[in-house]
Amino acid sequence: MRRSALRIAAALALAGPVLAACGSGGTPTPGATGADTQPPAPADSALDPNATAKVRLVLEPTSLNLTTTAGVAVEQVLLDNVYQGLLRVDTNADNKIVPALATGFETSADGLTHTFHLTPGATFHDGSPVTAEDAAWSLQQVLAPGSKQPNAKSLATIANVAAPDQATVVITLKQRDTNLTWALTQRVGVVYKKGTDFTKLDAAENGTGPFKLDGWQRGSAITLVRNDAYQGAKAKVAKVVLSYIPDRNAANNAQATGQTDIETAAEATLLQPFTGNDKFTVLRGTTTDKYTLAINNAKAPLNNPAVRHAIRRAIDKDALIKTLGGAGVRLGGPIPTSDPGFQDLAAIDPHDAAAARKTLADAGVDNLKLTLKIPNIYPAAIGDVLVADLKEAGIELTVKQQEFTAWLSEVYTARDYDLSLVNHAEPHDIANFATPGYYFGYDNAQVRDWYAQAVAAPDERTRTDLLTRIGRRVTEDAAADWLFQAQTLTVVRKGVSGAPQHHTSSRLDLATIGITK
Amino acid sequence: MTVFVARRLALLALSLLGASVLTFALLRLLPGDAATSVGGITADSAQLRAIRHDLGLDRPLLVQYWTWLTDVPTGDLGNSQLNGSSVTDELGEKLRVTGPLVLGALLLALAFAVPLGMLAAVRRERRDATVISVASQLGIALPTLWVGLLLILLFAVQTPLLPAQGFPVDGWADPGEAVRSLVLPTLTLALSEGAVLLRFVRSATLDVLHRDYLRTARAAGRTRTGALLRHGVRNAAGPVLSMLGVQVAALLVGAIVVEKVFTLPGVGSMLVADVGNRDLVKVQGEVMLLVAIVLFVGFLVDVAQRLIDPRLADVRRPEVSA
Repeated sequence: MRRSALRIAAALALAGPVLAACGSGGTPTPGATGADTQPPAPADSALDPNATAKVRLVLEPTSLNLTTTAGVAVEQVLLDNVYQGLLRVDTNADNKIVPALATGFETSADGLTHTFHLTPGATFHDGSPVTAEDAAWSLQQVLAPGSKQPNAKSLATIANVAAPDQATVVITLKQRDTNLTWALTQRVGVVYKKGTDFTKLDAAENGTGPFKLDGWQRGSAITLVRNDAYQGAKAKVAKVVLSYIPDRNAANNAQATGQTDIETAAEATLLQPFTGNDKFTVLRGTTTDKYTLAINNAKAPLNNPAVRHAIRRAIDKDALIKTLGGAGVRLGGPIPTSDPGFQDLAAIDPHDAAAARKTLADAGVDNLKLTLKIPNIYPAAIGDVLVADLKEAGIELTVKQQEFTAWLSEVYTARDYDLSLVNHAEPHDIANFATPGYYFGYDNAQVRDWYAQAVAAPDERTRTDLLTRIGRRVTEDAAADWLFQAQTLTVVRKGVSGAPQHHTSSRLDLATIGITK
Repeated sequence: MTVFVARRLALLALSLLGASVLTFALLRLLPGDAATSVGGITADSAQLRAIRHDLGLDRPLLVQYWTWLTDVPTGDLGNSQLNGSSVTDELGEKLRVTGPLVLGALLLALAFAVPLGMLAAVRRERRDATVISVASQLGIALPTLWVGLLLILLFAVQTPLLPAQGFPVDGWADPGEAVRSLVLPTLTLALSEGAVLLRFVRSATLDVLHRDYLRTARAAGRTRTGALLRHGVRNAAGPVLSMLGVQVAALLVGAIVVEKVFTLPGVGSMLVADVGNRDLVKVQGEVMLLVAIVLFVGFLVDVAQRLIDPRLADVRRPEVSA
């Protein structure tokens, strides 16, 4: 994971302002909107096996091909549901890595050889068995020279993938890589049938998951049907309709009038129809959505750490979270609550406009004028709050809202910006601060070194310790500002159980959803 | 008449060609392209270059334009740069939503605007006419978006008579459901467009009411309504018809807003999404379709004008006056 991907492309729009409680580290705040747990699922005999579950999503994918198109929108639909890798993550257990197409694996003492054992009985949707050859072939395609698969670099430490027998896959590494197992839970780890034509994946799927792709009504919905031949726990509903409803009011209306059973990414400020209404439950979930204020470290006068600290001190994050409806937590640093290396860093650069003003004066910077580039999918209120906060510190901020594609071109690729705000939704993306070419413009030799050590760490504890150090150093360097980590609100109709609750914008396990008879 | 139609058709083709050049050139001025969308924030500049090459975006613009243009006459509007799907096919699907929406709204608008507009003119000093006039002014003033939200609140949320948003996943397989989901959107669009139309019908009718031929017809023994229907309507139809031509363009623009409010998978929402994703081949196809519809309606209006008003045929350069 040299160059970890932040597949915000989607999650930003998804997450929107889903803020309903402030606290720290994701701990529930009493009295805040949303429940942390759902009632236990009823026995399968009480569920209707022929039911259709209708789920509201926000951002429609532009393609159904995981090997070509970046962005979380496509992963949200396809990973876990249609396609699987050897491993997957459990979103209900802080993204813990758990078995999928492999029942388990062993690592050699030197950490260079991982041996995976395939789950017996697993089949592709065309009925053919999943073999070690298929798994090895799929990984080899990601590694092939000239591979354009998104995030292919996250497997760069692999030297060789072999299939000594039909049920065993052996991955040999060039060097230790503590990120490998995580990478295998992501899209680069998906197992395709050997010989799959990757250019045709938009038209035909042959996955291994509990659902098959039924249809895509572009601009409207994607439908999945249960894979009755699935070897594991079968999906509890026969069909799922994923309706793309970007508008928050329209989504609320759809949920309130029964057009949908589950509304993901509900707007915190518009929950009145559902709270205190026993026909609905509002679930509050964790995300890794880091609303990141990038400060162009490579551009004067922002290359002066004092100026960056002043900007950070000028911003009142608690007030911002409140303005957006309250479903967010203070973050302080670059690592989200459910990732290894998290610590609460909110004490670094606490809000103090006067101190910010003084820091700027001491640095000899006056009359500072900056422009913030922000994709127009985020609430305009964020820009308003930042303008007011920075004004108090004597900084004149101009907000330039732009389309996400324009942001990608101007900020991400051309690095033409002072300040930028996007939701970096991807988990495990601290590598961005150890990648000098990244758009943050941040480069610290010590951080790069620590990161290399963390990747090659002999054990989990050493790794976590190094990541914690990186998080602190990056924050002390004011490499960026992390305004908040969003929480996600999901509205569930009564009679629907097993709804996805956490990390819903990137992984959405639909197989557990049940509808009472 | 044949020469006139042929000339107008040639002009139509020429306008379409001009529009295609403009569309193609203007879209290239937008920051970012399909490769930026595909690569998202996982691709570095080398990968972006490779994606750009795969998508053919590194070819000279003229070559890209020519390749696209030469396929258009065969009905092939190209393929999505993001998922390879046929633009023609997708437009066909989307027209099954936008087509009924716009046509329905046009017919509905005509159905209330024409009689009410004439009534408002004929009975202009009475109270009922004043009510109609005020109501139509209100209809013009209210934003389409707001009318849509109000209708949803009234007829979908508070009284759940009709769907609040969306279109059936299986399209027209169940025509009843499809029609139900189009009722509120059609009404929203018809109300705002109809209000404008009503004002036009009223002023066109007022205009003919004072004409000598109407007075003569009444002197010859016709009632006012009789005279108006026999002689007035045909004369008032001319200006209303040209207005209709313009209104079709307004309806298509209005459809983009209405499709957004009601989350309808139509041409309008497709256009908005594709511009955002920089799927420019699709955007070209969509814009060309909309331009073609507007130009074609303009052509039909011209022909209809000539049929209604034979005086136009005497003018030497009919395509100018028409």
